[in-house]
Amino acid sequence: MSVATADTDLRRLRRAHRRRQNAAALAFLGPNLVFFVAFLLLPVAWVVRQSFMEGGVLGPATWVGLDNWRQAIDDPALRRSLWHTLLFTAMTVPAVLGVALVLALLLRGVGRGGALVRGIVYLPSLAPVVLAGLLWIFVVNPDVGLLNAGVRAVGAEPVNWLGDAQLALPSIALLEVWRGTGFWALFLLAALLAVSRELYDAAAIDGASPFNRFRFVTLPGIGPTLLVAVVLTTLVAMQVFDAVFVLTNGGPAGATDTAVLYIYRSVFESGQPGYGAVLSLVLMALIVALTAVIVHSARRRAA
Amino acid sequence: MNAALRWAGIGVFCLVAVAPFAYVVSASFKATQSLFQFPPEWIPADPTLGNYRRLFTDLPFLRWTLNTLFVAGTVAALKVIFDSMAGYAFSKLTFTGRGALFGLMLATVMIPPAVLIIPLFFLIRDAGLLDTYWALILPPLANPIGIFMMRGFFDALPAELGHAARIDGAGPFRTYWHVVLPLVKPGLVVVGVYAFLIQYTNFVWPLVATSSEDLYVLTTGLARLKPNFTAPDWGLISAGSIAAMVPITLVFLALQRQFVSASLAGALKG
Repeated sequence: MSVATADTDLRRLRRAHRRRQNAAALAFLGPNLVFFVAFLLLPVAWVVRQSFMEGGVLGPATWVGLDNWRQAIDDPALRRSLWHTLLFTAMTVPAVLGVALVLALLLRGVGRGGALVRGIVYLPSLAPVVLAGLLWIFVVNPDVGLLNAGVRAVGAEPVNWLGDAQLALPSIALLEVWRGTGFWALFLLAALLAVSRELYDAAAIDGASPFNRFRFVTLPGIGPTLLVAVVLTTLVAMQVFDAVFVLTNGGPAGATDTAVLYIYRSVFESGQPGYGAVLSLVLMALIVALTAVIVHSARRRAA
Repeated sequence: MNAALRWAGIGVFCLVAVAPFAYVVSASFKATQSLFQFPPEWIPADPTLGNYRRLFTDLPFLRWTLNTLFVAGTVAALKVIFDSMAGYAFSKLTFTGRGALFGLMLATVMIPPAVLIIPLFFLIRDAGLLDTYWALILPPLANPIGIFMMRGFFDALPAELGHAARIDGAGPFRTYWHVVLPLVKPGLVVVGVYAFLIQYTNFVWPLVATSSEDLYVLTTGLARLKPNFTAPDWGLISAGSIAAMVPITLVFLALQRQFVSASLAGALKG
Protein backbone atom coordinates (compact mmCIF):
# COMPACT_ATOMS: atom_id res chain seq x y z
CA MET A 1 0.00 0.00 0.00
CA SER A 2 1.40 3.36 -0.98
CA VAL A 3 1.62 6.30 1.36
CA ALA A 4 -0.89 8.27 -0.73
CA THR A 5 -3.71 5.71 -0.44
CA ALA A 6 -3.09 5.27 3.29
CA ASP A 7 -3.45 9.03 3.59
CA THR A 8 -6.81 9.16 1.76
CA ASP A 9 -8.02 6.11 3.70
CA LEU A 10 -7.25 7.91 6.92
CA ARG A 11 -9.03 11.02 5.71
CA ARG A 12 -12.05 8.99 4.66
CA LEU A 13 -12.12 7.29 8.05
CA ARG A 14 -11.98 10.66 9.78
CA ARG A 15 -14.80 11.99 7.65
CA ALA A 16 -16.92 8.93 8.40
CA HIS A 17 -16.17 9.30 12.07
CA ARG A 18 -17.14 12.97 11.98
CA ARG A 19 -20.38 12.14 10.17
CA ARG A 20 -21.23 9.55 12.79
CA GLN A 21 -20.47 12.04 15.54
CA ASN A 22 -22.66 14.68 13.90
CA ALA A 23 -25.50 12.21 13.44
CA ALA A 24 -25.30 11.16 17.08
CA ALA A 25 -25.22 14.78 18.25
CA LEU A 26 -28.22 15.60 16.07
CA ALA A 27 -30.13 12.72 17.62
CA PHE A 28 -29.31 13.95 21.13
CA LEU A 29 -30.04 17.60 20.37
CA GLY A 30 -33.01 17.03 18.05
CA PRO A 31 -35.95 17.59 20.37
CA ASN A 32 -34.42 20.67 21.97
CA LEU A 33 -33.45 22.10 18.58
CA VAL A 34 -37.04 21.81 17.36
CA PHE A 35 -38.44 23.60 20.44
CA PHE A 36 -35.64 26.15 20.42
CA VAL A 37 -36.33 27.13 16.81
CA ALA A 38 -40.13 26.93 17.02
CA PHE A 39 -40.73 28.64 20.34
CA LEU A 40 -37.74 30.94 20.78
CA LEU A 41 -36.00 31.91 17.52
CA LEU A 42 -39.13 32.01 15.36
CA PRO A 43 -41.12 34.10 17.90
CA VAL A 44 -38.31 36.66 18.13
CA ALA A 45 -38.30 37.02 14.36
CA TRP A 46 -42.10 37.15 14.42
CA VAL A 47 -42.24 39.96 16.96
CA VAL A 48 -39.90 42.06 14.79
CA ARG A 49 -42.17 41.44 11.79
CA GLN A 50 -45.28 42.16 13.87
CA SER A 51 -43.90 45.55 14.80
CA PHE A 52 -44.32 46.56 11.13
CA MET A 53 -47.86 45.17 10.90
CA GLU A 54 -51.28 46.41 11.88
CA GLY A 55 -54.18 44.29 13.12
CA GLY A 56 -54.02 40.52 13.09
CA VAL A 57 -56.04 39.72 16.19
CA LEU A 58 -59.36 39.33 14.37
CA GLY A 59 -58.71 40.10 10.69
CA PRO A 60 -55.54 39.57 8.71
CA ALA A 61 -52.50 41.70 9.51
CA THR A 62 -51.41 44.36 7.01
CA TRP A 63 -47.97 45.82 6.42
CA VAL A 64 -47.68 49.43 7.62
CA GLY A 65 -43.92 49.88 7.58
CA LEU A 66 -42.61 52.14 10.32
CA ASP A 67 -46.03 53.58 11.24
CA ASN A 68 -46.30 51.55 14.45
CA TRP A 69 -42.89 52.70 15.57
CA ARG A 70 -43.70 56.36 14.94
CA GLN A 71 -47.13 56.24 16.55
CA ALA A 72 -46.28 53.89 19.39
CA ILE A 73 -43.35 55.97 20.56
CA ASP A 74 -45.72 58.96 20.70
CA ASP A 75 -48.40 56.96 22.51
CA PRO A 76 -48.68 58.46 26.02
CA ALA A 77 -50.02 55.17 27.44
CA LEU A 78 -46.94 53.34 26.18
CA ARG A 79 -44.58 55.94 27.59
CA ARG A 80 -46.41 55.91 30.89
CA SER A 81 -46.18 52.11 31.13
CA LEU A 82 -42.43 52.24 30.50
CA TRP A 83 -41.99 54.98 33.09
CA HIS A 84 -43.94 53.01 35.70
CA THR A 85 -41.87 49.93 34.94
CA LEU A 86 -38.63 51.83 35.50
CA LEU A 87 -40.04 53.39 38.66
CA PHE A 88 -41.11 50.00 39.97
CA THR A 89 -37.63 48.62 39.25
CA ALA A 90 -35.97 51.56 40.98
CA MET A 91 -38.19 50.96 44.02
CA THR A 92 -37.92 47.20 44.33
CA VAL A 93 -34.31 46.34 43.44
CA PRO A 94 -32.57 48.42 46.15
CA ALA A 95 -35.32 47.70 48.70
CA VAL A 96 -35.38 43.93 48.18
CA LEU A 97 -31.60 43.57 48.18
CA GLY A 98 -31.03 46.06 51.00
CA VAL A 99 -33.49 44.33 53.30
CA ALA A 100 -32.23 40.92 52.19
CA LEU A 101 -28.65 41.93 53.00
CA VAL A 102 -29.66 43.02 56.51
CA LEU A 103 -31.40 39.69 57.06
CA ALA A 104 -28.42 37.79 55.64
CA LEU A 105 -26.07 39.62 58.04
CA LEU A 106 -28.37 38.73 60.94
CA LEU A 107 -28.52 35.09 59.85
CA ARG A 108 -24.76 34.80 59.42
CA GLY A 109 -23.99 34.28 63.09
CA VAL A 110 -26.86 31.88 63.75
CA GLY A 111 -25.82 28.37 64.67
CA ARG A 112 -28.56 26.44 66.42
CA GLY A 113 -32.04 26.92 64.97
CA GLY A 114 -30.60 28.25 61.73
CA ALA A 115 -32.35 25.76 59.47
CA LEU A 116 -35.74 26.50 61.02
CA VAL A 117 -35.29 30.27 60.78
CA ARG A 118 -34.09 30.02 57.18
CA GLY A 119 -37.15 27.92 56.35
CA ILE A 120 -39.49 30.50 57.90
CA VAL A 121 -38.05 33.53 56.12
CA TYR A 122 -38.06 31.58 52.84
CA LEU A 123 -41.80 30.94 53.11
CA PRO A 124 -42.99 34.07 51.21
CA SER A 125 -40.61 33.25 48.33
CA LEU A 126 -42.35 29.90 47.98
CA ALA A 127 -45.60 31.56 46.92
CA PRO A 128 -46.11 32.03 43.17
CA VAL A 129 -46.61 35.75 42.51
CA VAL A 130 -50.30 35.31 41.73
CA LEU A 131 -50.92 33.60 45.07
CA ALA A 132 -48.76 36.11 46.91
CA GLY A 133 -50.82 38.82 45.20
CA LEU A 134 -54.05 37.26 46.46
CA LEU A 135 -52.57 37.09 49.97
CA TRP A 136 -51.52 40.71 49.58
CA ILE A 137 -55.14 41.77 49.08
CA PHE A 138 -55.60 40.80 52.73
CA VAL A 139 -52.68 43.03 53.66
CA VAL A 140 -53.53 46.20 51.74
CA ASN A 141 -57.34 46.13 51.60
CA PRO A 142 -58.66 49.30 53.28
CA ASP A 143 -61.42 47.48 55.23
CA VAL A 144 -60.06 44.11 56.29
CA GLY A 145 -56.33 44.57 55.56
CA LEU A 146 -53.54 43.88 57.99
CA LEU A 147 -51.73 47.16 57.26
CA ASN A 148 -54.77 49.21 58.13
CA ALA A 149 -55.33 47.16 61.29
CA GLY A 150 -51.91 48.45 62.31
CA VAL A 151 -52.74 51.97 61.15
CA ARG A 152 -55.95 51.93 63.18
CA ALA A 153 -54.20 50.46 66.20
CA VAL A 154 -52.05 53.59 66.42
CA GLY A 155 -55.15 55.73 65.98
CA ALA A 156 -54.53 57.02 62.45
CA GLU A 157 -56.99 57.22 59.55
CA PRO A 158 -57.25 54.06 57.41
CA VAL A 159 -55.34 54.33 54.12
CA ASN A 160 -56.62 53.21 50.72
CA TRP A 161 -53.34 51.59 49.66
CA LEU A 162 -54.23 50.44 46.16
CA GLY A 163 -56.90 53.07 45.50
CA ASP A 164 -54.52 55.99 45.90
CA ALA A 165 -52.62 56.82 42.71
CA GLN A 166 -49.52 57.78 44.72
CA LEU A 167 -49.51 54.67 46.91
CA ALA A 168 -50.61 51.94 44.50
CA LEU A 169 -47.26 51.26 42.84
CA PRO A 170 -45.29 51.36 46.12
CA SER A 171 -47.87 48.99 47.66
CA ILE A 172 -47.19 46.49 44.89
CA ALA A 173 -43.44 47.04 45.30
CA LEU A 174 -43.89 46.26 49.00
CA LEU A 175 -45.32 42.87 48.00
CA GLU A 176 -42.17 42.23 45.96
CA VAL A 177 -40.04 43.12 48.99
CA TRP A 178 -42.04 40.79 51.23
CA ARG A 179 -41.86 37.97 48.69
CA GLY A 180 -38.23 38.42 47.64
CA THR A 181 -36.43 39.11 50.92
CA GLY A 182 -36.13 35.52 52.13
CA PHE A 183 -34.90 34.11 48.87
CA TRP A 184 -32.31 36.81 48.25
CA ALA A 185 -31.17 36.71 51.87
CA LEU A 186 -30.33 33.00 51.50
CA PHE A 187 -28.66 33.79 48.18
CA LEU A 188 -26.48 36.46 49.80
CA LEU A 189 -25.92 34.41 52.96
CA ALA A 190 -24.11 31.74 50.93
CA ALA A 191 -21.71 34.44 49.69
CA LEU A 192 -21.30 35.96 53.17
CA LEU A 193 -20.32 32.59 54.62
CA ALA A 194 -17.68 32.22 51.92
CA VAL A 195 -15.86 35.45 52.92
CA SER A 196 -12.60 34.45 54.54
CA ARG A 197 -12.55 34.56 58.36
CA GLU A 198 -8.90 35.68 58.21
CA LEU A 199 -9.81 38.93 56.47
CA TYR A 200 -12.06 39.84 59.39
CA ASP A 201 -9.36 38.87 61.89
CA ALA A 202 -6.84 41.02 60.04
CA ALA A 203 -9.29 43.94 59.96
CA ALA A 204 -9.97 43.54 63.68
CA ILE A 205 -6.23 43.60 64.44
CA ASP A 206 -5.93 46.78 62.38
CA GLY A 207 -8.67 48.25 64.58
CA ALA A 208 -11.29 48.60 61.84
CA SER A 209 -14.73 49.73 63.03
CA PRO A 210 -17.72 47.45 62.35
CA PHE A 211 -18.79 49.81 59.57
CA ASN A 212 -15.36 49.76 57.96
CA ARG A 213 -15.21 45.99 58.25
CA PHE A 214 -18.50 45.88 56.36
CA ARG A 215 -17.36 48.46 53.83
CA PHE A 216 -13.89 47.05 53.12
CA VAL A 217 -14.20 43.32 53.84
CA THR A 218 -17.81 42.21 53.53
CA LEU A 219 -18.95 44.27 50.54
CA PRO A 220 -15.97 43.46 48.28
CA GLY A 221 -16.25 39.83 49.40
CA ILE A 222 -19.84 39.45 48.27
CA GLY A 223 -19.50 41.90 45.35
CA PRO A 224 -19.83 39.39 42.50
CA THR A 225 -22.84 37.72 44.14
CA LEU A 226 -24.46 41.08 44.78
CA LEU A 227 -23.94 41.98 41.13
CA VAL A 228 -25.70 38.82 40.00
CA ALA A 229 -28.54 39.60 42.41
CA VAL A 230 -28.91 43.16 41.09
CA VAL A 231 -29.01 41.96 37.48
CA LEU A 232 -31.54 39.20 38.19
CA THR A 233 -33.87 41.32 40.33
CA THR A 234 -33.76 44.06 37.69
CA LEU A 235 -34.66 41.51 35.01
CA VAL A 236 -37.66 40.34 37.02
CA ALA A 237 -38.82 43.81 38.06
CA MET A 238 -38.73 45.11 34.49
CA GLN A 239 -41.21 42.38 33.55
CA VAL A 240 -43.62 42.90 36.44
CA PHE A 241 -47.08 41.68 35.45
CA ASP A 242 -48.65 39.03 37.71
CA ALA A 243 -48.86 41.18 40.83
CA VAL A 244 -50.20 44.19 38.94
CA PHE A 245 -52.76 42.07 37.11
CA VAL A 246 -54.10 40.61 40.34
CA LEU A 247 -53.95 43.68 42.57
CA THR A 248 -54.82 46.72 40.44
CA ASN A 249 -55.04 45.72 36.77
CA GLY A 250 -53.23 48.96 35.96
CA GLY A 251 -55.44 51.23 38.05
CA PRO A 252 -56.30 53.55 39.64
CA ALA A 253 -56.51 55.67 36.49
CA GLY A 254 -53.48 53.98 34.95
CA ALA A 255 -51.22 54.64 37.93
CA THR A 256 -49.88 51.08 37.85
CA ASP A 257 -49.83 50.46 34.10
CA THR A 258 -46.60 48.60 33.36
CA ALA A 259 -44.87 47.56 30.15
CA VAL A 260 -45.91 43.92 30.17
CA LEU A 261 -49.48 44.87 31.05
CA TYR A 262 -49.47 47.13 27.99
CA ILE A 263 -48.10 44.29 25.86
CA TYR A 264 -50.82 41.96 27.13
CA ARG A 265 -53.54 44.51 26.48
CA SER A 266 -52.28 45.31 23.00
CA VAL A 267 -53.53 41.88 21.95
CA PHE A 268 -56.45 41.23 24.26
CA GLU A 269 -57.96 44.66 24.73
CA SER A 270 -56.85 47.36 22.30
CA GLY A 271 -56.36 45.04 19.30
CA GLN A 272 -53.05 46.70 18.39
CA PRO A 273 -50.49 43.90 18.65
CA GLY A 274 -48.17 45.99 16.48
CA TYR A 275 -47.82 48.51 19.30
CA GLY A 276 -47.26 45.66 21.73
CA ALA A 277 -44.56 44.28 19.46
CA VAL A 278 -42.84 47.67 19.38
CA LEU A 279 -42.93 47.88 23.17
CA SER A 280 -41.69 44.26 23.46
CA LEU A 281 -38.61 45.17 21.44
CA VAL A 282 -38.08 48.45 23.30
CA LEU A 283 -38.38 46.60 26.61
CA MET A 284 -35.87 43.98 25.51
CA ALA A 285 -33.42 46.68 24.39
CA LEU A 286 -33.91 48.51 27.68
CA ILE A 287 -33.29 45.36 29.73
CA VAL A 288 -30.15 44.51 27.77
CA ALA A 289 -28.91 48.11 28.10
CA LEU A 290 -29.65 48.22 31.84
CA THR A 291 -27.83 44.95 32.38
CA ALA A 292 -24.84 46.23 30.43
CA VAL A 293 -24.76 49.46 32.45
CA ILE A 294 -25.00 47.60 35.77
CA VAL A 295 -22.26 45.12 34.88
CA HIS A 296 -20.05 47.83 33.42
CA SER A 297 -20.32 50.18 36.40
CA ALA A 298 -19.70 47.30 38.80
CA ARG A 299 -16.55 46.37 36.89
CA ARG A 300 -15.32 49.96 36.96
CA ARG A 301 -15.87 50.20 40.69
CA ALA A 302 -14.09 46.90 41.28
CA ALA A 303 -11.10 47.98 39.20
CA MET B 1 -23.20 41.80 67.46
CA ASN B 2 -25.18 41.29 70.60
CA ALA B 3 -27.01 37.93 70.46
CA ALA B 4 -30.23 39.29 71.95
CA LEU B 5 -30.31 42.10 69.39
CA ARG B 6 -29.63 39.64 66.59
CA TRP B 7 -32.48 37.36 67.64
CA ALA B 8 -34.81 40.32 68.06
CA GLY B 9 -34.05 41.33 64.49
CA ILE B 10 -34.52 37.80 63.17
CA GLY B 11 -37.75 37.59 65.13
CA VAL B 12 -39.10 40.67 63.38
CA PHE B 13 -38.24 39.20 59.97
CA CYS B 14 -39.92 35.89 60.84
CA LEU B 15 -42.99 37.70 62.10
CA VAL B 16 -43.32 39.80 58.94
CA ALA B 17 -42.78 36.72 56.78
CA VAL B 18 -45.44 34.67 58.54
CA ALA B 19 -48.06 37.29 59.48
CA PRO B 20 -49.81 37.54 56.07
CA PHE B 21 -49.99 33.75 55.81
CA ALA B 22 -51.33 33.44 59.34
CA TYR B 23 -53.85 36.19 58.73
CA VAL B 24 -55.17 34.62 55.51
CA VAL B 25 -55.26 31.12 57.05
CA SER B 26 -57.29 32.60 59.87
CA ALA B 27 -59.56 34.39 57.39
CA SER B 28 -60.07 31.20 55.41
CA PHE B 29 -61.79 29.63 58.42
CA LYS B 30 -64.06 32.61 59.02
CA ALA B 31 -67.45 33.59 57.75
CA THR B 32 -67.14 36.86 55.81
CA GLN B 33 -68.77 39.20 58.31
CA SER B 34 -66.31 38.37 61.10
CA LEU B 35 -63.48 39.56 58.84
CA PHE B 36 -64.53 43.13 59.44
CA GLN B 37 -63.96 43.03 63.17
CA PHE B 38 -61.42 45.36 64.69
CA PRO B 39 -59.03 44.44 66.22
CA PRO B 40 -58.77 41.38 63.96
CA GLU B 41 -59.62 38.05 65.49
CA TRP B 42 -56.58 35.82 64.84
CA ILE B 43 -58.14 32.63 66.14
CA PRO B 44 -61.69 32.43 64.72
CA ALA B 45 -64.21 32.05 67.54
CA ASP B 46 -66.56 30.24 65.22
CA PRO B 47 -64.34 28.39 62.67
CA THR B 48 -65.93 27.03 59.50
CA LEU B 49 -64.75 24.79 56.69
CA GLY B 50 -67.36 26.33 54.40
CA ASN B 51 -64.84 28.34 52.36
CA TYR B 52 -62.77 25.27 51.57
CA ARG B 53 -65.90 23.32 50.70
CA ARG B 54 -66.95 26.10 48.32
CA LEU B 55 -63.62 25.79 46.47
CA PHE B 56 -64.83 22.42 45.26
CA THR B 57 -68.51 23.23 44.80
CA ASP B 58 -68.38 26.82 43.44
CA LEU B 59 -65.09 26.45 41.55
CA PRO B 60 -63.45 23.60 39.63
CA PHE B 61 -60.58 23.82 42.11
CA LEU B 62 -59.76 20.13 41.92
CA ARG B 63 -59.60 20.30 38.13
CA TRP B 64 -57.29 23.34 38.27
CA THR B 65 -55.00 21.55 40.73
CA LEU B 66 -54.87 18.46 38.53
CA ASN B 67 -54.26 20.62 35.44
CA THR B 68 -51.37 22.35 37.22
CA LEU B 69 -49.83 19.07 38.34
CA PHE B 70 -50.35 17.50 34.91
CA VAL B 71 -48.82 20.39 32.96
CA ALA B 72 -45.97 21.01 35.40
CA GLY B 73 -45.28 17.27 35.75
CA THR B 74 -45.28 16.66 32.00
CA VAL B 75 -43.03 19.63 31.25
CA ALA B 76 -40.67 18.58 34.06
CA ALA B 77 -40.48 14.97 32.81
CA LEU B 78 -39.86 16.02 29.20
CA LYS B 79 -37.28 18.62 30.25
CA VAL B 80 -35.39 16.02 32.29
CA ILE B 81 -35.21 13.70 29.27
CA PHE B 82 -34.46 16.26 26.54
CA ASP B 83 -32.14 18.49 28.55
CA SER B 84 -30.04 15.60 29.80
CA MET B 85 -29.68 14.47 26.18
CA ALA B 86 -28.70 17.93 24.96
CA GLY B 87 -26.44 18.55 27.95
CA TYR B 88 -24.67 15.27 27.24
CA ALA B 89 -24.16 16.21 23.59
CA PHE B 90 -22.68 19.59 24.50
CA SER B 91 -20.46 18.11 27.17
CA LYS B 92 -19.26 14.78 25.79
CA LEU B 93 -19.68 14.76 21.99
CA THR B 94 -17.64 16.66 19.43
CA PHE B 95 -19.61 17.81 16.43
CA THR B 96 -19.66 20.55 13.81
CA GLY B 97 -20.84 23.91 15.13
CA ARG B 98 -20.91 22.90 18.80
CA GLY B 99 -19.49 26.16 20.12
CA ALA B 100 -21.64 28.34 17.88
CA LEU B 101 -24.88 26.55 18.77
CA PHE B 102 -24.12 26.64 22.47
CA GLY B 103 -23.30 30.36 22.24
CA LEU B 104 -26.56 31.02 20.40
CA MET B 105 -28.57 29.22 23.07
CA LEU B 106 -26.73 31.03 25.84
CA ALA B 107 -27.45 34.38 24.15
CA THR B 108 -31.20 33.73 24.19
CA VAL B 109 -31.14 33.85 27.99
CA MET B 110 -31.12 37.62 27.53
CA ILE B 111 -34.52 37.49 25.80
CA PRO B 112 -37.13 38.42 28.40
CA PRO B 113 -40.08 35.98 28.36
CA ALA B 114 -42.40 38.99 28.10
CA VAL B 115 -41.14 39.59 24.55
CA LEU B 116 -42.42 36.18 23.49
CA ILE B 117 -46.04 36.70 24.63
CA ILE B 118 -47.38 38.24 21.42
CA PRO B 119 -45.57 36.06 18.85
CA LEU B 120 -46.23 32.85 20.77
CA PHE B 121 -49.91 33.71 20.97
CA PHE B 122 -50.16 34.13 17.19
CA LEU B 123 -47.97 31.11 16.52
CA ILE B 124 -50.04 28.83 18.74
CA ARG B 125 -53.28 30.32 17.41
CA ASP B 126 -52.28 29.79 13.78
CA ALA B 127 -51.27 26.23 14.59
CA GLY B 128 -54.81 25.73 15.90
CA LEU B 129 -53.54 24.82 19.36
CA LEU B 130 -54.99 27.72 21.34
CA ASP B 131 -56.92 26.59 24.41
CA THR B 132 -55.46 23.06 24.48
CA TYR B 133 -53.04 21.25 26.78
CA TRP B 134 -50.55 21.36 23.90
CA ALA B 135 -50.49 25.15 24.16
CA LEU B 136 -49.63 24.91 27.86
CA ILE B 137 -46.95 22.23 27.49
CA LEU B 138 -45.08 22.86 24.22
CA PRO B 139 -43.76 26.48 24.39
CA PRO B 140 -42.20 26.10 27.87
CA LEU B 141 -40.03 23.28 26.49
CA ALA B 142 -37.92 25.87 24.64
CA ASN B 143 -36.34 27.26 27.82
CA PRO B 144 -32.63 26.34 27.49
CA ILE B 145 -31.57 26.84 31.13
CA GLY B 146 -31.92 23.14 31.92
CA ILE B 147 -29.44 22.32 29.14
CA PHE B 148 -26.79 24.53 30.74
CA MET B 149 -27.45 22.98 34.14
CA MET B 150 -27.15 19.46 32.73
CA ARG B 151 -24.00 20.29 30.81
CA GLY B 152 -22.45 21.45 34.07
CA PHE B 153 -23.27 18.13 35.72
CA PHE B 154 -21.84 16.14 32.78
CA ASP B 155 -18.71 18.33 32.69
CA ALA B 156 -18.04 17.40 36.30
CA LEU B 157 -17.75 13.72 35.41
CA PRO B 158 -14.19 12.45 34.72
CA ALA B 159 -13.40 12.15 31.00
CA GLU B 160 -11.91 8.68 31.53
CA LEU B 161 -15.42 7.37 32.06
CA GLY B 162 -16.39 7.99 28.44
CA HIS B 163 -13.06 6.67 27.16
CA ALA B 164 -13.42 3.46 29.13
CA ALA B 165 -16.94 2.96 27.81
CA ARG B 166 -15.75 3.53 24.25
CA ILE B 167 -12.91 1.01 24.61
CA ASP B 168 -15.49 -1.49 25.85
CA GLY B 169 -17.28 -0.89 22.55
CA ALA B 170 -20.20 1.25 23.78
CA GLY B 171 -21.53 3.89 21.35
CA PRO B 172 -22.72 7.32 22.46
CA PHE B 173 -26.24 6.06 23.17
CA ARG B 174 -25.22 3.21 25.42
CA THR B 175 -22.62 5.38 27.14
CA TYR B 176 -25.28 8.00 27.81
CA TRP B 177 -27.92 5.62 29.07
CA HIS B 178 -25.89 3.03 31.00
CA VAL B 179 -22.75 4.85 32.06
CA VAL B 180 -23.21 8.59 32.61
CA LEU B 181 -26.94 9.08 33.19
CA PRO B 182 -26.99 7.13 36.48
CA LEU B 183 -24.16 9.35 37.71
CA VAL B 184 -25.99 12.64 37.20
CA LYS B 185 -29.21 11.74 39.04
CA PRO B 186 -28.88 14.75 41.38
CA GLY B 187 -28.72 16.96 38.28
CA LEU B 188 -31.84 15.35 36.84
CA VAL B 189 -33.70 16.11 40.07
CA VAL B 190 -32.61 19.76 40.05
CA VAL B 191 -33.64 20.22 36.40
CA GLY B 192 -36.96 18.51 37.07
CA VAL B 193 -37.74 20.55 40.17
CA TYR B 194 -36.73 23.73 38.34
CA ALA B 195 -39.06 23.02 35.41
CA PHE B 196 -41.89 22.03 37.75
CA LEU B 197 -41.45 25.19 39.79
CA ILE B 198 -41.55 27.45 36.73
CA GLN B 199 -44.74 25.86 35.47
CA TYR B 200 -46.38 25.92 38.89
CA THR B 201 -45.67 29.64 39.08
CA ASN B 202 -46.28 30.44 35.42
CA PHE B 203 -49.07 32.92 34.82
CA VAL B 204 -48.80 35.12 31.73
CA TRP B 205 -48.50 32.29 29.25
CA PRO B 206 -51.40 30.14 30.56
CA LEU B 207 -53.45 33.34 30.77
CA VAL B 208 -52.78 34.06 27.11
CA ALA B 209 -52.94 30.47 25.85
CA THR B 210 -56.18 29.24 27.40
CA SER B 211 -59.65 30.68 27.74
CA SER B 212 -61.89 27.84 28.91
CA GLU B 213 -62.31 27.23 32.60
CA ASP B 214 -61.56 23.53 32.18
CA LEU B 215 -58.02 24.34 31.08
CA TYR B 216 -57.15 26.86 33.77
CA VAL B 217 -54.25 26.09 36.05
CA LEU B 218 -54.21 27.25 39.67
CA THR B 219 -52.68 30.64 38.92
CA THR B 220 -55.00 31.56 36.04
CA GLY B 221 -58.04 30.12 37.79
CA LEU B 222 -57.48 31.83 41.12
CA ALA B 223 -56.45 35.13 39.50
CA ARG B 224 -60.05 35.45 38.27
CA LEU B 225 -61.06 35.88 41.90
CA LYS B 226 -59.34 39.24 42.06
CA PRO B 227 -61.72 41.99 43.02
CA ASN B 228 -62.34 44.15 39.98
CA PHE B 229 -65.52 46.11 40.33
CA THR B 230 -67.43 43.88 42.69
CA ALA B 231 -66.80 43.20 46.35
CA PRO B 232 -64.16 40.48 46.71
CA ASP B 233 -65.26 36.99 47.72
CA TRP B 234 -63.01 36.87 50.76
CA GLY B 235 -63.82 33.28 51.56
CA LEU B 236 -62.82 31.90 48.16
CA ILE B 237 -59.74 34.11 47.84
CA SER B 238 -58.37 33.12 51.24
CA ALA B 239 -59.18 29.41 51.05
CA GLY B 240 -58.05 29.21 47.42
CA SER B 241 -54.68 30.88 47.86
CA ILE B 242 -53.90 28.83 50.96
CA ALA B 243 -55.02 25.53 49.42
CA ALA B 244 -53.00 26.27 46.26
CA MET B 245 -49.87 26.67 48.41
CA VAL B 246 -50.15 23.09 49.70
CA PRO B 247 -48.71 21.13 46.72
CA ILE B 248 -45.74 23.44 46.24
CA THR B 249 -45.02 23.42 49.98
CA LEU B 250 -45.01 19.61 49.99
CA VAL B 251 -42.53 19.57 47.10
CA PHE B 252 -40.41 22.08 49.02
CA LEU B 253 -40.40 19.99 52.20
CA ALA B 254 -39.57 16.80 50.31
CA LEU B 255 -36.74 18.24 48.20
CA GLN B 256 -35.49 21.24 50.15
CA ARG B 257 -31.88 21.23 48.97
CA GLN B 258 -32.62 20.73 45.27
CA PHE B 259 -35.47 23.19 45.60
CA VAL B 260 -33.24 26.07 46.60
CA SER B 261 -30.68 25.43 43.85
CA ALA B 262 -33.52 25.00 41.37
CA SER B 263 -35.27 28.23 42.31
CA LEU B 264 -31.92 29.96 42.06
CA ALA B 265 -31.77 28.87 38.45
CA GLY B 266 -35.39 29.91 38.20
CA ALA B 267 -34.50 33.46 39.13
CA LEU B 268 -32.16 33.40 36.19
CA LYS B 269 -35.05 33.11 33.77
CA GLY B 270 -37.35 35.50 35.58
